[in-house]
Amino acid sequence: MSDLTHDRAFLAEETRRYHHFITLALWLAVITGAEIVLIFLPVPMAVVLSVLILLSVGKFFAVTLWFMHLIYDKRLLFWIFLSALVLALATFTALIALLNPAAVDTKWFS
Amino acid sequence: MSEAAAHDAPTSTGIEHKKLIMWLFLASDCMFFGTLISTHLLYRKLYPTGFTDAEGHQRFIQNLFNIELTSFSTFILLMSSFLMALAVSAMHKGQIKSFRRNVLGVIFFGLIFLGCQVFEFTHFYHQGLTIQNSVLGSTFYVLTGTHGTHVAIGVLWLILLYFYSFSGKLQGHVAALDVEVAGLYWHFVDIVWIIIFTAVYLVEYLGPNGFWGSGLPPVIK
Repeated sequence: MSDLTHDRAFLAEETRRYHHFITLALWLAVITGAEIVLIFLPVPMAVVLSVLILLSVGKFFAVTLWFMHLIYDKRLLFWIFLSALVLALATFTALIALLNPAAVDTKWFS
Repeated sequence: MSEAAAHDAPTSTGIEHKKLIMWLFLASDCMFFGTLISTHLLYRKLYPTGFTDAEGHQRFIQNLFNIELTSFSTFILLMSSFLMALAVSAMHKGQIKSFRRNVLGVIFFGLIFLGCQVFEFTHFYHQGLTIQNSVLGSTFYVLTGTHGTHVAIGVLWLILLYFYSFSGKLQGHVAALDVEVAGLYWHFVDIVWIIIFTAVYLVEYLGPNGFWGSGLPPVIK
């Protein structure tokens, strides 16, 4: 009896996730379409760039949380992945700061 | 505890060993791609004008990029991720036929993506952009090529899982975990492309002079 209840709850949860996946897939397609339209709109570059970054980050975390089950799994996995993201972002910031394009004389490389 | 954990070897974290190791690998791969993307962006800033082809003509990357093709392959990869999520869900429910159907879809979409990338690389090569003749070529091919290699490995992994499912051994919670781990890898490949699509392709079309200030060139193909 207990197993039956557990199985029913499990199947109900899987069905709920299934609907989440379909909704998310539709949103991902719409957002990607919006990104492509956005780059051709006569809008200031800073605005377009900011929106593009926001949309990409949104898509990134949507796939990570739902498709990769981070929202359903143990929190530890989320922190492991977030730590790596922070390190990757720190690497990017350090590279930009250390190799400041404005301070590099490119004639020595060309 | 997730569904499979109760049937797997005991762990101190409550997370299955395979899944934990895969997440640690993905975390390290995240830093790897972070460095590659940073390098590409940095050198785009340093060398905004593009590259010089074999005839000595200055070329602009915007002339080479085919945003329609890249958008199509992006859409394909996103939908493959959706199918992968369905395949994992089917495996958890023990629906092997549904799993096979969805995995075949993922493999098919993965191969389309790889085909688009091969076409793009060939086109760029014939237009004069090689891995050796410019910094742009080096960073672009290394970044997108590394991602393509990840996709190819993912496709191979899923093909093996697909055929393994006919052996009758791919069943139960342990098999569901194996499929979930493969799914994690595939989704990671997808999220990396989400960043590459914006950072490498879309930014080239921003503003009247291009994001890097090189000036948008006249449209020639």
